[in-house]
Amino acid sequence: MLRFILRRLFSGVVLVFVISTIAYLLLYLGGGDIARSILGESATAATVAQKAHSLGLDRPVLEQYFGWLGHAVTGNLGSSWFTGQAVSAAVSARVGVTLSLVLGATLISAVVSIIIGVWAAARRGWIDRSVQLLSVVGVAVPGFLIALGLVTVFAINLKWFKPTGFVQFASSPSGWIATATLPILALAIGGIAGVTAQVRGSVIDALRQDYVRTLRSRGLPRNRVVFKHVLRNAGGPALAVLAVQFVGLLGGAVIVEQIFAIPGLGQVAVTATSQGDIPLVMGLVVVTAIIVVVVNLLIDLLQGWLNPKVRLA
Amino acid sequence: MLRWKRLAAVAAATALGLTGCSTAEGDPAARASPTLTLGVLVPATTFAAADSSWANESPYMQAVYDTLLKADPNGKIQPSLATEWSYNADNTVLTMKLRTDVKFSDGTAFNADAAVQNLQRFHAGNSSNKSFLADLKDAKAVDPSTVQITLTQSNPALLTYLTQNAGLQESPSAFAKPDLKTNPVGSGPYTLDASKTVVGTSYTFTKNPDYWDAGSVHYDNVVMNVYPNPTALLNAIKGGQVNAATTANNNDLKEIEGAGFTVNPLELNRAGLLLLDRGGKMNPALADVRVRRAINYAFDTEGLLQTLGQGYGTPTTQVFPKNSVAYDPSLDSAYAYDPAKAKKLLADAGYGSGLTLQMPSGTRLGATTFTLIQQQLKDVGITVTYTDTGNNYIADVLAPKFPVTYIPLQQDSDWQLINFQIAPSATWNPFHYQDPAVDALVAKVRDGSKAESDQAAKDLNKYMVDQAWFAPWYRQQLSFVTDSKTKVIVQQGNAYPYLWNFTPAS
Repeated sequence: MLRFILRRLFSGVVLVFVISTIAYLLLYLGGGDIARSILGESATAATVAQKAHSLGLDRPVLEQYFGWLGHAVTGNLGSSWFTGQAVSAAVSARVGVTLSLVLGATLISAVVSIIIGVWAAARRGWIDRSVQLLSVVGVAVPGFLIALGLVTVFAINLKWFKPTGFVQFASSPSGWIATATLPILALAIGGIAGVTAQVRGSVIDALRQDYVRTLRSRGLPRNRVVFKHVLRNAGGPALAVLAVQFVGLLGGAVIVEQIFAIPGLGQVAVTATSQGDIPLVMGLVVVTAIIVVVVNLLIDLLQGWLNPKVRLA
Repeated sequence: MLRWKRLAAVAAATALGLTGCSTAEGDPAARASPTLTLGVLVPATTFAAADSSWANESPYMQAVYDTLLKADPNGKIQPSLATEWSYNADNTVLTMKLRTDVKFSDGTAFNADAAVQNLQRFHAGNSSNKSFLADLKDAKAVDPSTVQITLTQSNPALLTYLTQNAGLQESPSAFAKPDLKTNPVGSGPYTLDASKTVVGTSYTFTKNPDYWDAGSVHYDNVVMNVYPNPTALLNAIKGGQVNAATTANNNDLKEIEGAGFTVNPLELNRAGLLLLDRGGKMNPALADVRVRRAINYAFDTEGLLQTLGQGYGTPTTQVFPKNSVAYDPSLDSAYAYDPAKAKKLLADAGYGSGLTLQMPSGTRLGATTFTLIQQQLKDVGITVTYTDTGNNYIADVLAPKFPVTYIPLQQDSDWQLINFQIAPSATWNPFHYQDPAVDALVAKVRDGSKAESDQAAKDLNKYMVDQAWFAPWYRQQLSFVTDSKTKVIVQQGNAYPYLWNFTPAS
């Protein structure tokens, strides 16, 4: 097991390096005059040239990249070219916000979709057909429309929640509920639809297995068979979908954070990328890649715990 | 059963908590201490005074710093840290008397030495408005409360510049601090509360209890929330989460007014074309004034205002703003829409069979705009070919890579405008086009007496329109919105009202 973890961690390091290299080059290809972008239309050409020099933008791309890499491996991700804030501080202030939204949405997706998926698979009939229909609708409706609908109804009209902003749970639990509920729901609804379909299918497959018939014939209660034996076997594929969904939700957070003006990774990623704030974008790329690697490793370990057949030596 | 009762109690408590929360946070009047919550479009690029920006970033700077001088809402110069000022005979030496009772938030005293260091740092710094002090030759402290600024040549806008970022005063003891860009040390009415600030998203400022001009401070706290997304701003306005905000465009004004907000209009920018290649270096046709006039006649400015500006603004064909001494109402319609006249002028200039113009395009300025330019110029026989510049629109225009461009530009005060768009060295005169008549008028604006300078500005404006250096369409309304609890006076020539001009309505 330890060898497996080390191997996955090593491949994760390689992955982060490759992704960061590609991202750096893409940022340069997408380019634009970053110094002009920072200073705006009122700056003279001489001021723009001075700014470009102070940022090192007049050096060859590879020299700039290896300069960034040399600092990055020591943990120094530099400072934002636009706000002057240390990238590590900018990312650490936001990563918790985004993770709280994404983890909240993942948790809700997992719980709700397991309940609905098992219910549909066990009951079948019109309940199953309704769940399938709602799953398709849930996947098909774009996340931003769901977000806008939630804001309009629950924040602006009913005034139950805040339309924008974010309050940390530690500073005010009620403030967190008021600001985080709608974004989490906006992220979760699409996820519930996708995972429910997967759980339903896996449970139906498992229910058809011989061991289920055997267990039932031995007189075990239906609920015990489903929740103790069937669900454990059906959990593997559902977990795989959840892992993919977690990564997808990190992407979905970009839109949701824009609509709700939430100071998370997604909001700053949009701003930094459109501005060409390379140090900040690179910091975001590295942190996001690390999150994805860690989540996938955890899911692999969870798969092994759930199903001994996939346990790795 | 008991479990359900518990759950119901928890749900009720949560609902009460949410309701209480939304009342306390959504209604500023319900708070114990008055807080002004502002919606802004951009984050603070930096708090380092020497590298600072102005316009949309001015509220950040005004919260934490003082300037040597202040401008009233009409741009008239008022005392601030400098209480008196005077020029020598040829307006090249400015002597300023400074306050002696001001301290920076770190306890350092403000004096002439501090002022000199700040002026020199801005002169050498990396601000987008670095050119404000381009004429600075020397700054010295005559005594602890007197500073003398010597210029290489007179600069009619210097006093205005000293009301903006060129006049910001930062504590000299903070110059070497590594966190200068995010942790400002000024003598301003507020201090930045880093613990409640998320850089780039939300900034919280707390009242400076020792501020020397307490009468100008109307709130205990000021919060500036950044809304780069118009939808998020609209939702924040509808949800009562901001007291005042600047809007990115006028698309949502009806909805904003419907939410109980007041629109405070200001005609800040001018939309239209810049006919940059007046010397015909890149496109020889543009050297002929008849071609430039034809381009002016080709545009239905009223129609463009309705289509692109939703009707919020005033058609014009001059570049000087309404509050300028150079402004002439008759020049707002010097080139009334007349395609037939445009065709005739083109034919007279030898382009009756057609003319091609290369122009840049960029999605950020709106695809419709570029389509309409192409259509209206095509109607008079001018074919526009676009090059998509991507993120490099401004850089490519200023390179210069195009003889003509569309861009909305701010209508600055006269001398600022001359140095921004007209003078041979102006940023937005990238071909460095020079006309002896213009040079003479510019020199008179700079060096003449008040009456001579004002007359020269009027003559310059008339000459610009006659020679069709530009093809302006309309002055665009910038809409600053305030809720029923907040009053504001907009600032002529600035994208954001000055902070001390926000007051509680009651």
